[in-house]
Amino acid sequence: MAMTGISLQNVSKHFDAGETVANHQVNLEVEDGEFLVLLGPSGSGKTTTLRLIAGLETPTEGDIYFGDRRVNDDSPSDRNVAMVFQNYALYPHMSVKGNIAYPLKVRDVTPEEREDRIREATELLHIDDLLEKKPAELSGGQRQRVSLARAIVRKPSVFLLDEPLSNLDAKLRLEMRSELKRLQSELGITAVYVTHNQEEAMSMGDRIAVMNEGTIRQVAEPEELYRRPKTTWVARFIGSPPMNLLQGTRRNGAVELASGGSVSTDADGASGDVSLGVRPEDFTVSTEPPSGYSIQGTVDTVEPLGEYTIVNVSVEGRIVKAKEPTTTVERGDDVYLLFDDSDVYLYDDRGELLS
Amino acid sequence: MEEERTLDAPPETAPQTDLDLWTKIRYALPTLPRAARYAIAIGLAVLWVVPFIGLLMASFRPLSEIIHGWWHLEGMTLTLENYWAALDFSTAPMSRTLINTAIVTVPSVMVVMLLGAMVAYPFARFDFPLKKTLFFILIIVMAAPPELVAMGNYNTLRETGLFDTYLGLILVHVGWGIGWVVLFLRNFLLGLPDELEEAARIDGASRYQIFRTIVLPFSAPALVSVAVIQFTWVWNAFFFPMVFMRSSELYLAPQVLPMMKGRLQIDWGLVAAGSILTMAVPVLLFIVLQRYYTRGMVAAVAD
Repeated sequence: MAMTGISLQNVSKHFDAGETVANHQVNLEVEDGEFLVLLGPSGSGKTTTLRLIAGLETPTEGDIYFGDRRVNDDSPSDRNVAMVFQNYALYPHMSVKGNIAYPLKVRDVTPEEREDRIREATELLHIDDLLEKKPAELSGGQRQRVSLARAIVRKPSVFLLDEPLSNLDAKLRLEMRSELKRLQSELGITAVYVTHNQEEAMSMGDRIAVMNEGTIRQVAEPEELYRRPKTTWVARFIGSPPMNLLQGTRRNGAVELASGGSVSTDADGASGDVSLGVRPEDFTVSTEPPSGYSIQGTVDTVEPLGEYTIVNVSVEGRIVKAKEPTTTVERGDDVYLLFDDSDVYLYDDRGELLS
Repeated sequence: MEEERTLDAPPETAPQTDLDLWTKIRYALPTLPRAARYAIAIGLAVLWVVPFIGLLMASFRPLSEIIHGWWHLEGMTLTLENYWAALDFSTAPMSRTLINTAIVTVPSVMVVMLLGAMVAYPFARFDFPLKKTLFFILIIVMAAPPELVAMGNYNTLRETGLFDTYLGLILVHVGWGIGWVVLFLRNFLLGLPDELEEAARIDGASRYQIFRTIVLPFSAPALVSVAVIQFTWVWNAFFFPMVFMRSSELYLAPQVLPMMKGRLQIDWGLVAAGSILTMAVPVLLFIVLQRYYTRGMVAAVAD
């Protein structure tokens, strides 16, 4: 099977004669056989990027390459991409078998080979008992499987998925998540997956491209994205609950926090306004004055979630979140939020990571 | 299943309440305003169907029995003689005119369906120059009175040698039908999800394949509605055949009905039988396709 890397070079997409900018100067490299996730809030341009790769939209500027081939003017079928839509887009008047056979039929695959390929795909997705049913008779999960079967049956070189799990219930979503991942690595197809769900992105993606306002903010492996968010925007978007950002001023190698106290940094002597980022899970809540770095506040609310507890601490009128395995503090308690200086992220006044 | 039920499970059936017969009847009776509404509805329905019953009675009874009113039921004899007379009518026998009508109607319906779908699809989906203007022109034609346009049609058909031919009449019917058919199918196709076509494009289908394998099957209910309405319209048309068909051997059924009334005394039985024969075809078609027809109508009108 021919495998393909995808490359987007300065791709922009405008709608309504330039009134709407859906994508701005997107640069992205997807490697052969990679599972890349486009993650972003709604309206961030991730679906448009996917549609540009699919060939359903043509870029206003920039170039798209599949391997060494420039595909800007190629139709979706020439690009040999397969796409799974959020609402499945099954052909309502055809049976399950008709749906899966459709891409093969329009490509003039011989009936014998069609049968083989359909059997292969439906067995892989465990839907070989549904062949004669109409889409309207299927459950959401079954429809999803049929649309996946329709996508893989013609052995595409690129597999595109547009929020494929968002119409499923929570339990099924978890199940399909691992199944999709398994399917992709078994088939070894390059996949681009669009989602607004960071958990989905982190668990499935080889790499994640975080998008906002039509551009890519950061492309990184899940671990790195979590460990080294390059901007405050990404920092606030990744993690549950997201990173706390505290305002401060940098002076002589130390950061003085607006809420009191200071943290020394190993950075140079530059000065200016900065944001200090600490992940909720890197805080330890203590009622005793500590020896290390800490900030002081009053417990506002406690959210026990079973596997962990979120303690919302009011610091100078702003809520700082801490994630604790268990806690004994209660609302109104004066507490110290302890953290290690190695867990601190420092962002400049433009929101870029400093150290 | 029994072991899965727990103590707290709700009962499987609603509890029975014991009511005596009179209470039950009282509950089942409609309230007065509701009963009044039923009465009006039933009254209207009867009013609607009475002329039809009259026609049916007239067609199955000898003239002497109905001359004083078909509602006199004493000594009623049923006979098919009116029908035989109508089928054998000397000027233009119904047996022939019905076939003639079919020859004109079937192509008029088929062509309008195919052309209509092919025109409606771009109007529903694509952007092209003058789209709004063209659509407006198509619609505005529907507002023109046929009597007026028929004069122009008459001259055109004369000049092109299509006057007094079925081809000419079919073209006129297609022209009249295309406006509403395009409007109707376009509205229906606006409800076709974009993703279906996009999925088909990605699956590798050409524009034409998408039209044939996705758009047309999806439109089936709307096309059935179009077929039924256009069929009824063309089959029952009286004005156009009257203006454009001159040769008696080419006469269509609705055109012949007024001739059946005779010179001296109106033969109501003959006219009634002819009318029933003529209307039977579209009515049967409607009954057969009613289910699809309703579905298409609902989908085309609801947005």
